Amino acid sequence: MTFLHIAAKDLRIRLRDRNTLLLGLLLPAALTAIMGFAFSSDSGISEIPITIVGPEDADFLSEAAAGMLSRHELFDVAVSDETRAIEDVRNGHRAAAIVIPDSLFEAVSGGHSAEFVVYEDPVSSVKSSIVRTMMEQMADAGNAMSALGRSIFLTIDDVGELSDAERFALNGWMFDWMRERWEDPPIAIASSDESVREISAVSYFAPAFTVFFTLFTLLSSARSIHEERDAGTYGRLRTTPVTRPSIIAGKMLATYTQGVVQVLLLIGLSGVLFGIDWGSSPTAVAAMALVTAAGASGIAIFIAAASRTGTQTDQIGTVVVLVMSVAGGSMWPMPESFEPVSRLTFNYWAQQGFSNLVVHDSGFAGIAIPTAVILSIAAVLFAVSVLILRRD
Amino acid sequence: MGSRPVLEVKNLTKRYGSITAVDDLSFTVERGEVFGFLGPNGAGKTTAISILSCLVQPTSGSATVCGHDVVRDSLEARRCMGVVPQEIALYPSLSARQNLLFWGRMYSVPASELGRRVDELLEVVGLADRANDRIDTYSGGMKRRINIAAGLIHRPETLFLDEPTVGIDPQTRRSILELIKSLNEDGLTILYTTHYLEGAEFLCRRVGIMDEGRLVAVGTRAELVESIGAADVITVVADNLPTDADALARGLDGIRRAVLADDRLTLEATAGSRALPRVVEQLSGAGAGITSIEVSSPNLESVFLHLTGKTLARSNEDQA
Repeated sequence: MTFLHIAAKDLRIRLRDRNTLLLGLLLPAALTAIMGFAFSSDSGISEIPITIVGPEDADFLSEAAAGMLSRHELFDVAVSDETRAIEDVRNGHRAAAIVIPDSLFEAVSGGHSAEFVVYEDPVSSVKSSIVRTMMEQMADAGNAMSALGRSIFLTIDDVGELSDAERFALNGWMFDWMRERWEDPPIAIASSDESVREISAVSYFAPAFTVFFTLFTLLSSARSIHEERDAGTYGRLRTTPVTRPSIIAGKMLATYTQGVVQVLLLIGLSGVLFGIDWGSSPTAVAAMALVTAAGASGIAIFIAAASRTGTQTDQIGTVVVLVMSVAGGSMWPMPESFEPVSRLTFNYWAQQGFSNLVVHDSGFAGIAIPTAVILSIAAVLFAVSVLILRRD
Repeated sequence: MGSRPVLEVKNLTKRYGSITAVDDLSFTVERGEVFGFLGPNGAGKTTAISILSCLVQPTSGSATVCGHDVVRDSLEARRCMGVVPQEIALYPSLSARQNLLFWGRMYSVPASELGRRVDELLEVVGLADRANDRIDTYSGGMKRRINIAAGLIHRPETLFLDEPTVGIDPQTRRSILELIKSLNEDGLTILYTTHYLEGAEFLCRRVGIMDEGRLVAVGTRAELVESIGAADVITVVADNLPTDADALARGLDGIRRAVLADDRLTLEATAGSRALPRVVEQLSGAGAGITSIEVSSPNLESVFLHLTGKTLARSNEDQA
């Protein structure tokens, strides 16, 4: 059981290192706060300010859309003209402006396409994406209604061989029917809110920075393999009856334990400081913390094992962590088109797991796939590291 | 003595590519003995002690510690030896007590006994009152003492000390030597490497002189001095020593060897006091301004000079 003593010694040394506390806890907390403040226009996502611009000849459309969207606490809706709406978005006063096309119903009932235009504030990326998603759902609902109405109209027209007056009357009825549906849609948009809890920018950055800084601090912990070599303590350990696998196991356990403690502390800290709700399943959060620490320590130890010196560990590790963090979305959200690349990183899966807990409160079901991927990464890297260190 | 040697080394050789760091080393160390490896930096002392400590595999030859082969039975060999490396191999952010507790656990010293042993050792090395201070607050000498204590925590049968007095002031060096002597007086077998004459002469019953990986002589101080024939060492320090001062001195009657290093000329003389006037006359005539002359009776320096044609001080400077 000497490996436990080695792990305990390493942890004691890490605890006495001020850099560990600075890099491991204070810096991520501070950066989360700063980024949360910088993206403060994304805070309070329960009231996303949007403007509806309706056709000049159909004010009822914009009023109806505003009324419909206002039913959801997610939006703070105003109606305005296009020029002012665009100006408000540019100034950052509104997260988005939705322009309803002229002659929407005529186009739809006539079987033509109609195009909504959404102006987005690029700074409020999270809010904008929510508005965009909402519009896509509205478009889907509109398309369904249009298709239904159009098929009813054509069926009646074919069967009844309607006169022009009857066709005009049917068109009017269809118009009124679609208007009623628009004001009181059969498919409630509210349903999409049920899986998305109230989130803020810090809810994104807290998990992201937790993953990012855990990687960095564990890299520093794994570096102790080289520090011990340089200081002569590794050589001295090798003159004792302790076997090399015990030494390696001790150092790995220390790095992993430090990772677990750090992730759990950062989760707790973000809950206390920023009020982040990590979901209703503490065990799922704890499991995700254990898994994240395993992945991060696997990566850190592999980099240290593959490096010849502590300096090399720092250099290679910094590059690897930064590239993974950017590609994996730990710095800022990556576009969907980049997702195939993001999926290759540890950061993506760790954040995916945490996001599923924070945003969807999905419990163990939401972390199952990220857990499987991260544990696979960790197992491979730990095994390769042991082989390298034993041969060394 | 009389029992099986604690340390037995036979034809030990270590090569790194074309470089032979240890060349056909053979010697034994008896129980209760202090055996010294004396030689300049780079002579192969640390490589030899690294092989004996199971850190480095020999290219050929064998070595046993307490009867355990250091290659085939290294775990048992490591249990019976204590190793004090040249560097301060301690954790600087931990206290002396925490360091000793940790090293004790590495040797599986029973928990019930470990605390008492740590207290005892802290007393032995005179640092009981600083036991809970971090190592990085200690002076060089204090660190050296704890470094030695860490090698004793499991009460080994033999202790390997690799240059334990390097880099510390003469007063502290003396106190470390006294500590090692007292450990030996308590029955501990010690293998001690050094490039300082003082330590070897003070501590060691027998000395092995190493140069360029080879053990050029082994014996007690008296045996070694006798083996080269009684010879005094004359050390002259002078300004403007001619570059051929050593050659000039070698031409004088009674001077057997001469080594020139900067402003210092070291001579091996069959009768130092008789040769001295001729040395002074010769050097003064060559324009040297003599600032000091010292004549010492035969010692390990004379032996080293005789066997290798070099002075220990000069060899150490060359290696540095």
